[in-house]
Amino acid sequence: MTDVHTLAGAYALDAIDRLERARFENHLAECPPCGAEVAELTKTMAALSGATAEVPPARLRAAVLTRSAATPQTRRAVHRRTFRLPGRRWQRLTAAAAAVIALGGGGAVGYEMASQSASLDDTRVSAENKQIAAVLAAPDARLHSTTTTGGGQVTVVSSDSRNEAVAVLTKLPSPGAGHAYQLWVISDGTPRSAGVLATGRTGATELVSGIRGAQLIGVTREPAGGSKTPTPPLVAQLRLI
Amino acid sequence: MTCVAAGDHDAFAALYDAIAPRAYGLIRRIVRDPALAEEVTQDALVEVWRTAFRFDRERGSAAGWILAIAHHRAVDRVRAEQAAADRERRAGTAGVPFDEVVAEVTARLEHEAVRRCLRALTGIQREAILLAYYGGLTYRDVAEHLGAGLPTIKTRMRDGLIRLRDCLGVTLG
Repeated sequence: MTDVHTLAGAYALDAIDRLERARFENHLAECPPCGAEVAELTKTMAALSGATAEVPPARLRAAVLTRSAATPQTRRAVHRRTFRLPGRRWQRLTAAAAAVIALGGGGAVGYEMASQSASLDDTRVSAENKQIAAVLAAPDARLHSTTTTGGGQVTVVSSDSRNEAVAVLTKLPSPGAGHAYQLWVISDGTPRSAGVLATGRTGATELVSGIRGAQLIGVTREPAGGSKTPTPPLVAQLRLI
Repeated sequence: MTCVAAGDHDAFAALYDAIAPRAYGLIRRIVRDPALAEEVTQDALVEVWRTAFRFDRERGSAAGWILAIAHHRAVDRVRAEQAAADRERRAGTAGVPFDEVVAEVTARLEHEAVRRCLRALTGIQREAILLAYYGGLTYRDVAEHLGAGLPTIKTRMRDGLIRLRDCLGVTLG
């Protein structure tokens, strides 16, 4: 019974902060009996809800049904990229990197996102996941985060020792018809493309290589397929040093 | 739930009727303010609709899943408000009376089995669980509030819940 396992009760009660939640969910992924215990404890608290039930105002029903009718359901992601970090490496995981995992939230282990391409090869996805996990677990992993012009967030975990970074783009505004977001690594004022999102996509997780010596990671809105040089303005920029 | 995940609006309306009183009652205990409780319940149930595909029958009941979402949303809201209140308190405003949480919740739990099972817990188990679940406190806050060590509170939350589970006869499936 590891120390982290004693968090099962606090986890079922939502009595932990985001970092510990991420850490515990990582543990759950490696411990099926713990998952069963948590499910039972969560259900135990749900069993108390009969005792506190209260009929809500009738307008709530109308509001919920109206809103749900106008809300598209999230479909299962084409690829569910879930990765686990081995226990000991997790200990080294900086708080910063854990925060990025926590960003995924939503109860899934690690984080998941729709892939940019439905035909993405599974093997490649798996290899990339390993690289992403390695960046997050790097002893020198550092977190940078900023909000995007017009809403949304860009979070980057960079590791100089690995010469790599993971960029997580979430809930950006739509780039508009025929446009896409593009990532740039900027060294001494010279931008180099670090990947183009699929047309219209508003979120992604990208592995960015060759960041050593770079000062900035930037995001621009470009015509579909990306551009050779960034089109101003930068919708987000993160200072790496 | 399978129908809801497949996009069936009628099934979702039926699900609403079955679960809304429990979700609203729970959220209301946590956020206290009725108008805020309506807003949080609305957000939580729309999230249930939106993410219904995530529900995994093997990991518990639909009610448990939905109420966990409701709880999570309510606690998030309380913590956000609490953070704001802390900032205000530093400016001289009074804080939130957590002592009332346990007494109030216990008094309102009218269900006999629940009362009996809660009474079967030790004082610290009961307080730790109720403060966290209905007060939205983290175990660190609970430890500070009860003047107990972190390992003690973590352990009491877990063994208290296990005792509660056994007393209420909760099983998966």
